[in-house]
Amino acid sequence: MIELINVSKSYSNGIDVLLNINLFVGKEEFVFIVGPSGAGKTTMMKLLYREEVPTSGKVIVDRVNVAELDSKQVPYLRRNIGVVFQDYKLLPKRTVFENVAFALRVTGAPRSTIRRKVMQALELVGMLGRANSFPDELSGGEKQRACIARAIVNNPPILLADEPTGNLDPTTSWDIIQLLEKINKRNTTVLISTHNKGIVDDMKRRVVALESGRIVRDQLLGGYNV
Amino acid sequence: MFSNLEFFLVEALRSFRRSALMSFVAIGTITVSLFVFGVFLLLVVNLGSIVGSVSSKMDLAAYVNKDISLEEAGALQLTLAKIPGVEKIDFISRTEAWRQFKDEFGSQLDLDATMTNNPLPHTFNIKVRTPDILPKVAKEVSNFQLIDEVRYSGKFVDQMKSLLDAIRIGGASLVILIALATLLIVVNTIRLTVLARETDISIMKLVGATDIFVKWPFIIEGILLGVLGGLASFIILNFSYSAVLYKVSSALPFLPLMGDQRLLSLIYLTMVLLGTGLGMLGAYISVSRILNSEV
Repeated sequence: MIELINVSKSYSNGIDVLLNINLFVGKEEFVFIVGPSGAGKTTMMKLLYREEVPTSGKVIVDRVNVAELDSKQVPYLRRNIGVVFQDYKLLPKRTVFENVAFALRVTGAPRSTIRRKVMQALELVGMLGRANSFPDELSGGEKQRACIARAIVNNPPILLADEPTGNLDPTTSWDIIQLLEKINKRNTTVLISTHNKGIVDDMKRRVVALESGRIVRDQLLGGYNV
Repeated sequence: MFSNLEFFLVEALRSFRRSALMSFVAIGTITVSLFVFGVFLLLVVNLGSIVGSVSSKMDLAAYVNKDISLEEAGALQLTLAKIPGVEKIDFISRTEAWRQFKDEFGSQLDLDATMTNNPLPHTFNIKVRTPDILPKVAKEVSNFQLIDEVRYSGKFVDQMKSLLDAIRIGGASLVILIALATLLIVVNTIRLTVLARETDISIMKLVGATDIFVKWPFIIEGILLGVLGGLASFIILNFSYSAVLYKVSSALPFLPLMGDQRLLSLIYLTMVLLGTGLGMLGAYISVSRILNSEV
């Protein structure tokens, strides 16, 4: 599903963010990307949905090297990748329903389909009751659920979550991780970057550890530390 | 597509409301520019119609300074009428001309006392089809032996025409300058609304919106600005021109101002379409520049 081959990324100021990364993530896997801030976790995710382009190497998503993707094709790549953000990136002046519907609207889906799919997504994340609330009326956990609903409303085969629990308390964090696991069980490949040691240790899933732009550990049924 | 159109319209209106002040400034600028454009168009059209009507009054006057009989005059009139381009010929005999002159000025001067005989020549007033053939016809008329002199006000027509050309060229440059200024203002207005919605745009792109999808609401917003500006300038110009027409027709009735409703509608339609085009183009340039500078 996802393959990084000899991927390096350095910014114009000469800082190397990723160095010779090789990684394979199979279909429907559930992977934690761990490591300290600045290790390159976010950049690695951005490479996958072509928010960034690698300096060298191949980034293969669903058999396509997205590093060389024509910019006109990028929107269609992104419709196949759901992204969940630490800061939710919800549109403040729109209701939860509208925020989730947004992701379908841009694909030009008919209104009846949008309504049905948004309701399904909201039900899956347990937000059906808050469909008409605005983001500033929601708690952090609810905002993250809305964000997840938006990410999965297109039924993408891949879900990327960049520090999804970064702003949440431990209990809510657990709820969110369990929600992501539930989505994984619905045949979605899930990549989660996180600092949250407790969750990674308890989940006992595949762990890829980054440090200063290199993969220092790739372990099935791993923990946060060795 | 229908649901998209609805989405675009709602987005455009939302953005329009959000930056209401800037939108009104932009509409105002478009209104003023289009108003100037419309005034210029009306000026050219009216000068054209004045020149046209003056030219159409341009007759040739051919003078015969000999005593000729009415038969001779009649025969000459028939021959002259065969010259191509001649539309109408009136013969005014010297006696008739003298009578008219005395009718007009006899009360102020004791003409019979100062003048012992009639100093006026016979006159053929020749009307030609279009002013541009005046010189040609004049030359042919003067070739006749009986004709002593041919007169027409060709110079005046030429001067009016060059004035009209100058106004056309000057006005066209003015209109282009104003259009560019308007375009810049629309570009900036839309730029502000695009910048205000940068988060929205980045999220739209993250969830897989194509560039053209992101652009549409802004282009519609630009069209909206243009249409409203165009309509406002149309209304203002329509009122002002009607007032001018009314004033002029009572104060200077001999001035043939253009009042043709079809031509007027065409001018107004041009203004509104031009406004729409400017708004659309401005928005397109603006949003394209921002989208391209991102990513």
